[in-house]
Amino acid sequence: METKSRDLWVYIEVQEDGSPKNVGIELLNPGRRMADKQGGALTAVIIGCGVDKAVREASRHGADRIIVAESDDFKEYNTDAYAYALTSLVEKYGPESMLIGATGNGRDLAPRVSCRLKTGLTADCTALDIDEETGNVAWTRPAFGGNLMATILCPERRPQIGTVRPGVFKKPTPAEGAAEIIREDVRLPAGCIRTQVLGFLRDVSAGKVDLENAEIIVSGGRGVGGPAGFAPVRELAEALGGEVGASRAAVDSGWISHAHQVGQTGKTVGPKLYFACGISGAIQHLAGMTGSDVVVAVNKDPSAPIFGVADYGVVGDLFEVLPVLTEEIRKIRG
Amino acid sequence: MNILVCVKQVPDTTEIKIDPVKNTLIRDGVPSILNPFDGYALEAAARIKDEDPSTRIIVLTMGPPQAEKVLRECLSIAADAAYLVSGRTFGGSDTLATSYILYNAIKKVEEREGPFDAIFCGKQAIDGDTAQVGPEIAEHLGYPQVTYALEAFRKDNMLEVHRETDEGVQIVGVKTPCVMTFTKPAWEPRYPTISRKRAAHRAEIPVLGDDAFPDIDTAMIGLKGSPTRVKKTFVPQRKKDGLMLRGESGEAAARKLCALLRDAGVI
Amino acid sequence: MKDHIREKRYHIEIIPPKHNTDDIEADLELFREKYLRVIESGYCVCLTDNAMGRMAFQGHETIAELGLPVPPEQVMIHLNTFHSKKHLDEVLDSLRDMGVKYLLVVSGDGGPRMMRLEPKDIGAEGAATVTSVELLRYIRDKYPAFVTGVAFNPYEPADFEFKKLERKIAAGASFIVTQPLLGKNETVDELLRRYPDIPVIVEGWMTKKAWLLSDVVGYEIPTDADYDPIATLRELVRLYPNCGFYLSLLGFKTQYGLIGDIWS
Repeated sequence: METKSRDLWVYIEVQEDGSPKNVGIELLNPGRRMADKQGGALTAVIIGCGVDKAVREASRHGADRIIVAESDDFKEYNTDAYAYALTSLVEKYGPESMLIGATGNGRDLAPRVSCRLKTGLTADCTALDIDEETGNVAWTRPAFGGNLMATILCPERRPQIGTVRPGVFKKPTPAEGAAEIIREDVRLPAGCIRTQVLGFLRDVSAGKVDLENAEIIVSGGRGVGGPAGFAPVRELAEALGGEVGASRAAVDSGWISHAHQVGQTGKTVGPKLYFACGISGAIQHLAGMTGSDVVVAVNKDPSAPIFGVADYGVVGDLFEVLPVLTEEIRKIRG
Repeated sequence: MNILVCVKQVPDTTEIKIDPVKNTLIRDGVPSILNPFDGYALEAAARIKDEDPSTRIIVLTMGPPQAEKVLRECLSIAADAAYLVSGRTFGGSDTLATSYILYNAIKKVEEREGPFDAIFCGKQAIDGDTAQVGPEIAEHLGYPQVTYALEAFRKDNMLEVHRETDEGVQIVGVKTPCVMTFTKPAWEPRYPTISRKRAAHRAEIPVLGDDAFPDIDTAMIGLKGSPTRVKKTFVPQRKKDGLMLRGESGEAAARKLCALLRDAGVI
Repeated sequence: MKDHIREKRYHIEIIPPKHNTDDIEADLELFREKYLRVIESGYCVCLTDNAMGRMAFQGHETIAELGLPVPPEQVMIHLNTFHSKKHLDEVLDSLRDMGVKYLLVVSGDGGPRMMRLEPKDIGAEGAATVTSVELLRYIRDKYPAFVTGVAFNPYEPADFEFKKLERKIAAGASFIVTQPLLGKNETVDELLRRYPDIPVIVEGWMTKKAWLLSDVVGYEIPTDADYDPIATLRELVRLYPNCGFYLSLLGFKTQYGLIGDIWS
């Protein structure tokens, strides 16, 4: 695709109620920096139906322009409609680069669009920069389960596209000024949409474990010694209003279900507070939790690798430490 | 029904260690395995076959000659036939180039096996972690796609798919032919059987090499066909200089810790 | 099982071929040779269940594939909790149909890609997870013809281990197999004092690589430690005259010919 501008586009995914998903707004933060370096406008692109809230939020958080494609066809996300819309908009305006939030839908949409445009896509980026030499975007992302970081360039094809995980960037501070709003009338060709949502099974499993959105997680590992050993872990989690996590060792030994597993083959988490209890800190576990703001480690072994990534480390027996900590926290919380 | 399952041989990333001196990955001695997500795709195909034994499952992989091992593994679990795509001109391909080669391979295999009603893939490979190849194959083929699939059921000329979303399990209908990428369901994939293992040991696996695709656009494969390139790689530094409490009784440490966390505004 | 001890019938471990073997035919042939040799010697074959978390074919599946004989007093199958319900029932049905009598029921070594029993699968809704105790109860209720035994780990805190053993016996276990002993063990001595009527089978570690047991025994065994499996077995036979012996990792080429004289 031939570029027609130096603009940086941020795809803003919209939720059912018309408000934007956080990640889209977050991306306006690096988007601003990149647009300025590229010498173009920071442009939000919004596809959906009933998107006023999203448009307002995008404007409030610094977008220079907002391109809106609104129609009943876009009421619910589906690959065919959204890929058609986004591709036509990109082809019409020819931006230099584009950021898409790496949500489920984002990861569904981005490769379809990048392939259609015959351009390069870099997924799950954790850092973005403009390469000084060439002016190309330098996309940095994890591979090998988080064991390795790679910095990727897309030197020739345009637009350069990358997806970014939620929570990697903070939302920009709201600013004065209103964005220029451009409404595009995107008409889908007949028979474009080839999938159909037939229904929903609202979560059937009792007590759904939501580690990915948890603000506080208390995890247990090999050190808890058995299923009964998770009791102090659970109690601390409860006292803090958090979720219970587990290392692969505990799950493999059958002490707790896989839904609680944190790590490369489990969930990747980014809570404000993460307790690692009786967890040695194997690389594949670290890959799942180093996104945490504050890490507290409790382990009998002073040489456990987990202490290398902990903000607070207690060398001690979790069966002695956790109950007292739980009690103290309950006192504070009243 | 004909199902093609695209699989990849990957290093077992859970076994990868970091060389503390050189700060690089130690890849020697790391076992190669079938990408676990591709295993879920194969299991999903096998479940369709459980319901309709006339279903045929073909597996395909692109890789070096030793990638043949994962094809034999798939044969020992549920696949009926396997093809290996392997050639020097394919090396150095990024996801766009890889998906293009696989698209050509799928068309080639269809000449022998007949058209595929569905292409199943794992949602991502645990080495690249991009989750791009599946949807890109769908784009080259011009087929509809369903991602994050857990299980698929055949309903006339459609597939009804249960897929994972943040809100729960969504049920989607998609016409065949289509592409589907699979994530981990609530069950573990089935194991190989001894008799299938013995047959897999003897099976002939055709290799589609550099000459297999006379009409392929060579500008779209290998390094030349890859819009993205790796500028550098590095092992992430995770070290923190934390505050350590040691040599205390568990009780004393717990109280100190609580006070510290409280003062820091963490709790 | 008491007869096994009286008749000095060794229990000999054979590990079925692994799922990821590169040469299934060679592995099957080796299995067949070992199996038939143990049967011919009058000993008892013990087939492991994904030992050390390494995925392998099941004992009964290998027996069936090779059409091997199953004399009920000469075959013991290990069974752990890392199976789906469907798979577990298939295994138990097959074992029952082929006339297997003895099962060693253990919690087992899990692994990342293994299936697992959930408490509700086997009517154990009260339990947090499935251990050998819940599995024993299930087998006693649904497959009462099997004679079940359990593991005893003298390297765990004794209190803890004896309590677990009580629960296992209450759930139907009627014989015990210990972890590998490297010599006299006071906890095993205590076990024999407390349970004089239950057959106890002592495990002998038959490979020179004693350091592999470091995790089991809870202390570091140096890799250059001079460990003599045959001498150790001789010592164990002398120390525990009322016990049976289970030989793991036995060298069929170099050691098999020597064991007959040690316990006779």
